Amino acid sequence: MLACKDLTVAYGDIVALQSVTLEVGRGETVALIGANGAGKTTLLHAISGLNPVQSGDIMFEGTSVARLASDRRVALGIAQAPEGRRIIPGLTVEENLALATVSWRRWRQPISGDLARVFDLFPRLKERRRQLGWSLSGGEQQMLAIGRALMARPRLLLLDEPSLGLAPRLAEEVYERVRQIADSGLTILVVEQNTVLALSVADRAYVLETGRIVLHGTADDLKQNTRVREAYLGR
Amino acid sequence: MTDFIQLFINGLAIGGVYALAAIGFVIVYSATGVVNFAAGQFVMFGTFAGVAMLLNAELPWPVGYGAALLAMALFGALFFAVLYLPLRKSPVVTIIIGTVAIGITMQNAALLAFGSWPFRLPSPVEGVNLTIAGATISAHAIAVVVVTAVMVALLWLLFFRTSLGIGMRAVAQDIQAARLMGLKVNRLLALSWVLAALLAGIAGLMLGPMWFADTSMGDPIALKAFAATIIGGFGSLPGAIVGGLFVGLSEVLGASYVSSAYKDLISFGIMIVFLLVRPQGVFGERVQDRG
Repeated sequence: MLACKDLTVAYGDIVALQSVTLEVGRGETVALIGANGAGKTTLLHAISGLNPVQSGDIMFEGTSVARLASDRRVALGIAQAPEGRRIIPGLTVEENLALATVSWRRWRQPISGDLARVFDLFPRLKERRRQLGWSLSGGEQQMLAIGRALMARPRLLLLDEPSLGLAPRLAEEVYERVRQIADSGLTILVVEQNTVLALSVADRAYVLETGRIVLHGTADDLKQNTRVREAYLGR
Repeated sequence: MTDFIQLFINGLAIGGVYALAAIGFVIVYSATGVVNFAAGQFVMFGTFAGVAMLLNAELPWPVGYGAALLAMALFGALFFAVLYLPLRKSPVVTIIIGTVAIGITMQNAALLAFGSWPFRLPSPVEGVNLTIAGATISAHAIAVVVVTAVMVALLWLLFFRTSLGIGMRAVAQDIQAARLMGLKVNRLLALSWVLAALLAGIAGLMLGPMWFADTSMGDPIALKAFAATIIGGFGSLPGAIVGGLFVGLSEVLGASYVSSAYKDLISFGIMIVFLLVRPQGVFGERVQDRG
C-alpha cells in the first residue's frame, strides 16, 4: 500500500534520511523504531508532504505522491496524528474533529456517523466535546489527535510517538486503542521511541539509526534480536 | 449634553473605520505572521476605488460600491500572489519589508493616477441629518456605526459558525497541523488577504465622506489602526474592535474637550501607556513564539 523507495531528505546540508526503503502492506501494522533524532518524524513528514524529498519516491497504492501537496495526500487517504498531538488549541474537541473531514466531505454532508465511531473508541472525547483543545490533558489530546486522523477516513494511518509524555498506564491505554484500530483492518505505520509498546502492536518493524534503516523484520524476530534487545529494549 | 451625543456618535463612526482597518490587520497577522505596513494604503485604495467608481465613472452608488469592493477583493488576491506567495519561504521580516515597499508603491501609483488634489467622496446619505435627543447627527455617521456593527456580526458568523472560518482559525493557530488535517492552507491564507482588503475597502468607502480623499491619507490611518491593535491586544479580534472604537472616541472627544492640536497626542499617549503598563493590551494573549 505504501512504499518508500530510496528516499533521501535533507535540511540544507544535513542529510536527515539516507536512501530509506520501507514498505507497508494493506492491513498491516508496521512500527518504525529508533532513538531521538534518528529521522523517524522526518520520514512521516515526508510521507505527509510537510518536507520536500530530495530524491527517491513515495508510492501510495501504486501512484507516486512524493510531489503532491499535503491536502491532496490526505484526500488520497494518508492521515497523520503528529508528534506532540498538535491539537488546534482554540477550537473545541468537536471542531477539531469536524474540521478534519474537509478532505472528503461535500457541502453539508452529515458527519455524525464518523463522530460516533470516534466517540465509541474514545468515550472521554464525547464528555469533552465542547471543551477547547488546549484545556485537555495530554492523554485526552493524544486521543483527539488519533480521533482527528480517523475523521479524515484514512486508508493509511500514520502515528508519530503516540506514547510521548504520557504516564505508562495512559500510554498503554492509548496502545490498547491503536490495537483496536489495527484489528478493524486499517493499515498503520507507527513511529515510536517506546520499543516495547511499538512491538506489542506491530506485525513488522524497521529500525532507523541516523537516517538509515539498519534492521527490519517481523516484530517477533526483532524482540529476539540481540542488537534490538541491547539498544532498545534494555535487556 | 447634546454636544456630547453628537461627538460620541462621530467618535464611534471614526472608531468604526479604525476598527475595520485594525481587524484586517489582525486577520492577516494571525494567519500569516505578517505585520502589514501597507494596511493604511489598503484603506486609501478603498477610498480611491470609491472616487474612481462614483466620481470618475459616475456609477450609481450601489453599483459603484459593489465594483469598488470587487476591485479591492481582487487587489487582496493579487497582493497575496505577488508578495506573499513568492516570499513565503523567506523570513517573515522580508515579507514585512515587502509590505512597506508595496505600500509606498501604492501611494505613488494613486498619486500618479489621481494627482495630489484632494477629492471629496459623497455619501449615499449626503446632506441628511437626524436629530437625536436634541443633537444633530449626520446620517452618514449613523450608517457607518451600523455598517461596522453588521460587519463585526458577519465576521463572527464566519469565524465561529462556518467551516471556512473555523479552517482559517486553525491555519492561524497551527499551520502544520492544518496541513495534516487536509486543509487547503494556501487558499485559506489567500482568503485572509482578500478579507483584509475587503474590510479596508469598506473602511475606505465609509471614511471618504468624513475626510478628504488624499493619496497620503494611508499612513495616519495605519498608525491609528496600529494604536488600536496595541491598546486592544495585538492579534486579538475583539481587541481590534474595542481598540478602534476607543481611538476614534478619544480622538474626537479629545479634539473637542482638550484641543484639536493634541488629538493625536491623546490616542498615541494612551498607546504608549499601554505599551509601558500592559503591553498585552485589553484582550491580551500571552506572548508566544509561533511554531
